[in-house]
Amino acid sequence: MRVGIKKWQVRPIEPILELKQLSKTFGKEHVLKEIDLTVYEGEIIGYIGPNGAGKSTTVKIMLGLIEEFDGKVSIFGEDISSGDHTYKKRIGYVPETADLYENLTAYEYLTFTGELYGMAHEEADAKAAELAKLFGLEEVYHSRISSFSKGMKQKVLLISSLLHNPDLLFLDEPLSGLDANSVMIVKEILAKLAAGGKTIFYSSHIMEVVEKISHRIVLLSDGRLIADGSFEELKGQNMDGTLEEIFNELTGFDEHENIAEKVVAIVQEG
Amino acid sequence: MKNYPSLKIVDVFKGVFQRFGVDYPAMRRILQIKLTMDRRRMPTVFNEAGRQNKDNESNQFLKSLWIYAFLGLVLIPFILIRDSYMLPMTLVYGVLMFLLMTSMISDFSQVLLDIRDKNILNTKPVNRRTVNVAKMVHVSIYMFILTGTITGIPLLVSLLVRGWPFFIVFLGQIILIDLLIVVVTALLYILVLRFFDGEKLKDIINYVQIALSLSIVIGYQLVIRSFEIFNLDFTFAPQWWQAFLPPIWYGALFETLLGGSRDVYLIVFSILAVTVPFLSIYIYIKAIPSFERNLEKLSHQEQGKKKKKGRLGRLLCKTREEEIFYYFARKMMKNERQFKLKVYPVLGLSFVIPFILIFNEVRMSSFEEVAASRYYLSVYFSAMMIPTVILMLRYSENFKGSWVYKALPVTNRSPIFKGTLKAFIVALYVPVFAALSGIFMFIFSVNIFPDLIVVWLVSSLYVLFCFKVLNGEIMPFSESFEMAQQETGKVLFLFVPILVLYGIHFWVGGLTFGTPVYGAVLFVANMVLWRRL
Repeated sequence: MRVGIKKWQVRPIEPILELKQLSKTFGKEHVLKEIDLTVYEGEIIGYIGPNGAGKSTTVKIMLGLIEEFDGKVSIFGEDISSGDHTYKKRIGYVPETADLYENLTAYEYLTFTGELYGMAHEEADAKAAELAKLFGLEEVYHSRISSFSKGMKQKVLLISSLLHNPDLLFLDEPLSGLDANSVMIVKEILAKLAAGGKTIFYSSHIMEVVEKISHRIVLLSDGRLIADGSFEELKGQNMDGTLEEIFNELTGFDEHENIAEKVVAIVQEG
Repeated sequence: MKNYPSLKIVDVFKGVFQRFGVDYPAMRRILQIKLTMDRRRMPTVFNEAGRQNKDNESNQFLKSLWIYAFLGLVLIPFILIRDSYMLPMTLVYGVLMFLLMTSMISDFSQVLLDIRDKNILNTKPVNRRTVNVAKMVHVSIYMFILTGTITGIPLLVSLLVRGWPFFIVFLGQIILIDLLIVVVTALLYILVLRFFDGEKLKDIINYVQIALSLSIVIGYQLVIRSFEIFNLDFTFAPQWWQAFLPPIWYGALFETLLGGSRDVYLIVFSILAVTVPFLSIYIYIKAIPSFERNLEKLSHQEQGKKKKKGRLGRLLCKTREEEIFYYFARKMMKNERQFKLKVYPVLGLSFVIPFILIFNEVRMSSFEEVAASRYYLSVYFSAMMIPTVILMLRYSENFKGSWVYKALPVTNRSPIFKGTLKAFIVALYVPVFAALSGIFMFIFSVNIFPDLIVVWLVSSLYVLFCFKVLNGEIMPFSESFEMAQQETGKVLFLFVPILVLYGIHFWVGGLTFGTPVYGAVLFVANMVLWRRL
């Protein structure tokens, strides 16, 4: 209900995140072509697109990992090219490639990143330990991450992204490797965070999940923004389609049956 | 997590760092994490889930240090020479720079070029400068430990024998050299990154490394020539081109400060010795932003082309499985950057060293005398590469992929080993050996051909020997490179057999029918032992 009340309040709504004419080239290759996007508080954005469409590049630019680009990127109302890195304090990030310092224990890694976000060691430790317990990592909290399963590593990344109570979350395939029960927990967490006013930028290739959790879906194809709206809006003419079907349609892909047939034929050859 | 002694030393300079705009607590925390990780370069095999093994944490790097301490003893005789400062000290600094530079290039490239750091650290609210300085300090800590180990005993000896002034100049210059080397290596990478991108860039780093290790060796020849050491004449004739040889700068500074020389050249060299390290730091700081930008290119790749498979595998391998692993190993050697990084410099050295031995001889006697001698046997020293490369065959950046060995329907391991070793011989040893043989036959006449065959047979046995000693039953490409450092010591000991084999060959060559008989014995031994692998 809080969401409803908020909408009634008379106050200027400031976008959390704003991309204006964002373009990026690597050499001669145009990875992003004039992307315009405005995101407000409390939204869960499903950021989808085929492999190589430019999703990770967009996220990397917003995180300041890629500094050279054309256009303007504002986060929390500040231009990120200004050289001030403090906006990152309010951001949480789960990268797609599970980059972790695996020689560290979960405790060491989480307190380390927590401290870099400006938390005190004790505070980070206490919070991380409790979260680890809730995620079922209590027993291995003091073990090295290198011995963890894929799902456990993913949980560490999730905790690390949430520990400092960020206002904006960038999640790239955050559910990868998680078991069905953990997936339910994480989905619920995301819904609750958004209801509490946090903004979530969610990229994934699993359309069922994106369809269910996103308030708004942004589809990127070949460096261009080709769709932007709620699932209902995207459905539009294609009334009883799933997001998967809409995705195929919008990205101009209708070959799946044909390709599958050929694959099976080749596998069974000889 | 421990509060490492090295961090307490860094704390002393807290103020300096802060003045340069570094977020000191964050930098200290990053360093602490990095040092902790360095201590844990252990394979996951030993680290079973849930077990806390904090006690057996120890830095493998530190364990391998005693070898450097041993190498440092070489410096002592030079320190004891009282006739001149210029010659002995130039040699001392030359040796030191060589050891530091090679270890810097082979072991710390990872630290400088780690892109994992980017995802983890740069997404956090920490400014870039802090992350960069943390990296430099991290590398520097190891440089200082390494230098400390190499020069520790020589420094003590210098204090006891030559007194305080000598000791202080010696120590001061060692610090200058450390700074110079850390920064110059970093600058070198910046330069390379500026001009190239993508996968090509990583290859180019390899080539730079080869070029560097070769130029160091050739530089040595120039240093020695500067002194005409063999005439036992310590007079030094300064030349303008010596300005390009950093060890000479430091020798010159000694001569000016303690020897009281007022030669213009020497004074210029001395000024270079002091100013260049600081100048390079300044350039480095200026260049960091562009370095960062260019580092992005490391993860970017252009589309590849299909490569043709050669036919050699079928000729060399007896079974189909062996052939498969032959091609597999060749591709791995070609594509694994870490592998090339560690192996190529050695490859360059093993090509150059035989020539250097010959040239030294030419200087002492005449070319005709050398051409008539048996100095062509120095081709044995090209086998120096064998233990290093074989050790490196154990490692891979993608060592986790080694589960395929277990998943594949392969019961017998022998074809895996044979295929891999043959791939190594064909891809890396043959080119060097063939080139050397060709040039040597040109210098020494074609009559040395039978001897070259014997050398070939010997090195083929040496390959098996090194493989058994170093790798045993360990599968190729199945361990992380992080493990490599602790094994490097063994490689040094494996150079000893080369000298022994050289000696045997020399002795056998003097006997009637010695070479053919020796060759026949080696041939049979090869047949038997390769089959039993």
